[in-house]
Amino acid sequence: MKEITLTINGKTAKGREGDTVLEVCEAGDIHVPTLCHLKGITDVGACRMCVVEIEKERRPVPACTYPARDGLVVQTHNEKLEKYRRQILELMFTERNHLCAQCVASGDCELQDLAYEYQMDNVRYPYSWPALPLDSVNEHLVIDHNRCILCGRCVRICDEVVGVHTLDFGYRGWKDTVVADLNQPLGESSCISCGACFQVCPTGTIFSKNGAYQGRPEEYRKVSSVCPVCGIGCKIEALVKDNRIVRIDSPDLTGKRGVLCHKGRFSPLYQNGERVRTALVRNRRGTLEPRPLSKALDLVAGKLADIKARYGASSIAGIASSQASSEALTAFKELMGATIKSELIDTLDGDAFRAIARGERDSKAKPAGLKEPLLEEILKADAIVLVGADPSESHPVAGSYIARAARQNGAALIVIDPVHNAFQYHANLRLSPRQGKEAVVLDLLSRAVIEKTSRSRPDGTERIATLLKDIDVSRDSKQAGVRADDLLEAARVLSKARRTIFVYGDGIMRHDDPAPITSLLNLATVAARPGKGGPRLIALTPGGNSRGARDMGLASSSQSVAKSLKNGGVKALYLLSSDDTIDPAQLSAMSKGVEFMVIQSSHLPPAKTKADVVLPSPRWTEARGKYTTLDGLTRTTSRIIRPPRGMKTDAQILSEISGRLKK
Amino acid sequence: MAKVKVATIWLEGCAGCHMSFLDIDEAIVELASAVEFSRSPITDIKEFVPVDVGIVEGGVGNTEEEEVLKELRANCKILMALGDCACFGAVGAMRSSFSKEEVLRRGYIETESTCEGKIPGPPAVPALLDQVKPANHVVKVDCYVPGCPPEAGAILYSLKELLAGRIPVLPSDMMRFD
Repeated sequence: MKEITLTINGKTAKGREGDTVLEVCEAGDIHVPTLCHLKGITDVGACRMCVVEIEKERRPVPACTYPARDGLVVQTHNEKLEKYRRQILELMFTERNHLCAQCVASGDCELQDLAYEYQMDNVRYPYSWPALPLDSVNEHLVIDHNRCILCGRCVRICDEVVGVHTLDFGYRGWKDTVVADLNQPLGESSCISCGACFQVCPTGTIFSKNGAYQGRPEEYRKVSSVCPVCGIGCKIEALVKDNRIVRIDSPDLTGKRGVLCHKGRFSPLYQNGERVRTALVRNRRGTLEPRPLSKALDLVAGKLADIKARYGASSIAGIASSQASSEALTAFKELMGATIKSELIDTLDGDAFRAIARGERDSKAKPAGLKEPLLEEILKADAIVLVGADPSESHPVAGSYIARAARQNGAALIVIDPVHNAFQYHANLRLSPRQGKEAVVLDLLSRAVIEKTSRSRPDGTERIATLLKDIDVSRDSKQAGVRADDLLEAARVLSKARRTIFVYGDGIMRHDDPAPITSLLNLATVAARPGKGGPRLIALTPGGNSRGARDMGLASSSQSVAKSLKNGGVKALYLLSSDDTIDPAQLSAMSKGVEFMVIQSSHLPPAKTKADVVLPSPRWTEARGKYTTLDGLTRTTSRIIRPPRGMKTDAQILSEISGRLKK
Repeated sequence: MAKVKVATIWLEGCAGCHMSFLDIDEAIVELASAVEFSRSPITDIKEFVPVDVGIVEGGVGNTEEEEVLKELRANCKILMALGDCACFGAVGAMRSSFSKEEVLRRGYIETESTCEGKIPGPPAVPALLDQVKPANHVVKVDCYVPGCPPEAGAILYSLKELLAGRIPVLPSDMMRFD
């Protein structure tokens, strides 16, 4: 871009064509006060704090929206501008309720900082004291409209970066307020509680229930880490006081992989049940009682050795949650495999891996051509096919990418899901096959795409065409529950698209039916553009470290261990839950018929669970650990807070059991 | 040199600003040699006499407070607003979004510990104003020391400026609203 030269406060300042005056000022280290401006979102000139004088302009203009031009002569600070800014501040302070002594944000407020900077020790205007409502219906967030200066940062971040556009302005003039959807309470709106609005709010309008009145920023310690709750691996910055997390922010909200969701931003602020702080062993009366860790580990090792001696290695099964870190999973594999020599090793989401593996095996696509793209590829796509996945629940940040691609980049979105899917509202086309007929619809779509594609066909098309030669779109669409016209329209979209990305989720990851994944791989193959990098598929696997567990071969057995448990013959079960919350029904089904059961977990399992020994796990916020994202990146979490006194990591405990068994 | 005469009043505030003034510790000895207090909650003198500096703590929320503030203004050369309530209304102004009637009903009848409550009124007690106002919305104010309460250092700085014959303006790093 062309370089331009401006004169700011009598000095030369360099910028680039397309910059705003504010950007040139910032690049040249000239401080211009701002409130509504936020790097990475559109500037709107709402607050007027950044007014500057520009030669030949009749009145001051906001620097944030004024395009910089070659030769502009700009004045950022003089008596008149400073007078205006102070006046603007006084107007903001008198418009609603900005009495700092009563405000949650005092000490951490951009409006207050500016009032200090401008030595605003009084206000000359009458207060208007509107009695505006306070919305506290949302689980995590409160909106106090009395503190709002209508800067619109929340509205813009919600729309442009999060992609949900729940927030916008309602009413006009004096009555103008930020509203959710059609003026619903936030907790009953389309809000996904990602908390981006809270992070960018310059005043105390939007605040977090759990972080309110916990102290001032200078009392907090900042720790950079990564959220391992789902496989996206968002970077986080935790604010800690007295070994308690009071707030989690994104270190780069508007940057690459910067958006967080409620799981990363708010869930670590809450306890989910009673913590396991020490080893617990079931006594003769049937209750769990605390026992020194080394004694409990002796007991576990002794029991496992005994059962192995009596019934053989195949009578001991191990199931791990893929929320556990790679270190924990490695130690788990070591214990169950190398030490005990059991083949019954699995993860709680192992069925998803088996579905993917079988789907890949049966596909006519060349597995070598399958490359898992980075999540950011969604933003570069011009067509997105979402199959059996509702990321608004499972992976909200992936959902943000899809919504942004569809709404901002004009990407065509095709949703294929038998059940209600929040993304159907963003979709150009929604195909709703009958339950279990997803594979049929995907095959029909492949067939229609092959027919519509006149250009050079990607590798593998011939084999897939042969496979699908007997099906017919108009004949077979009806029994699958979709309209032939919709299928043909979807095929037209896909045959025209230059970069299509397929995103699929647990809706089609069924261990007993790999057909939908096979059909999806076939569709991705025929819809790829030759020479454009091959088919692109993203599997939204359920666990935070699913990919790590899969790469480690933890779920490589052909049958789920949970099923083996049902068939009997398993005498001992070691369940590594780590910081996961396991469905109680699944838990009781697993423990049935087992003679000895160990659960290693951060929280107490439900009261009815038949566990003979419960071993303590740190929460993910309490230990350093490696995790692999669903798109294959390695991320390392930091120890944000100290675990309860004397607690060992999952890997240490598992290795100590291995050590005892090897003796 | 003749001592500088000072009067202070305590309106709709919590006395915290007067307390914070006492937090200037040993500096009070030096100040005492230069300053003479007349009417003030500290001296318990009730009558106004003409003074050099008047200091007001608290917002203006009823007719009596309005009158007292006007009387101080009439009797002083320089008027200083001390603390957030005098500068902005602050804590007392929490009631300003509600009507007078709502506030009185809540305070004297609906409070959980009240039975058979009765709303008092003039002439027994002064009538409430519709809203709690900062001092400068009632009379002319010459200088301001915000803070809830202002730090002793900010108060001392402002008094020393006055003694040196200057109108104090708190520098940014001494500004506090809480």
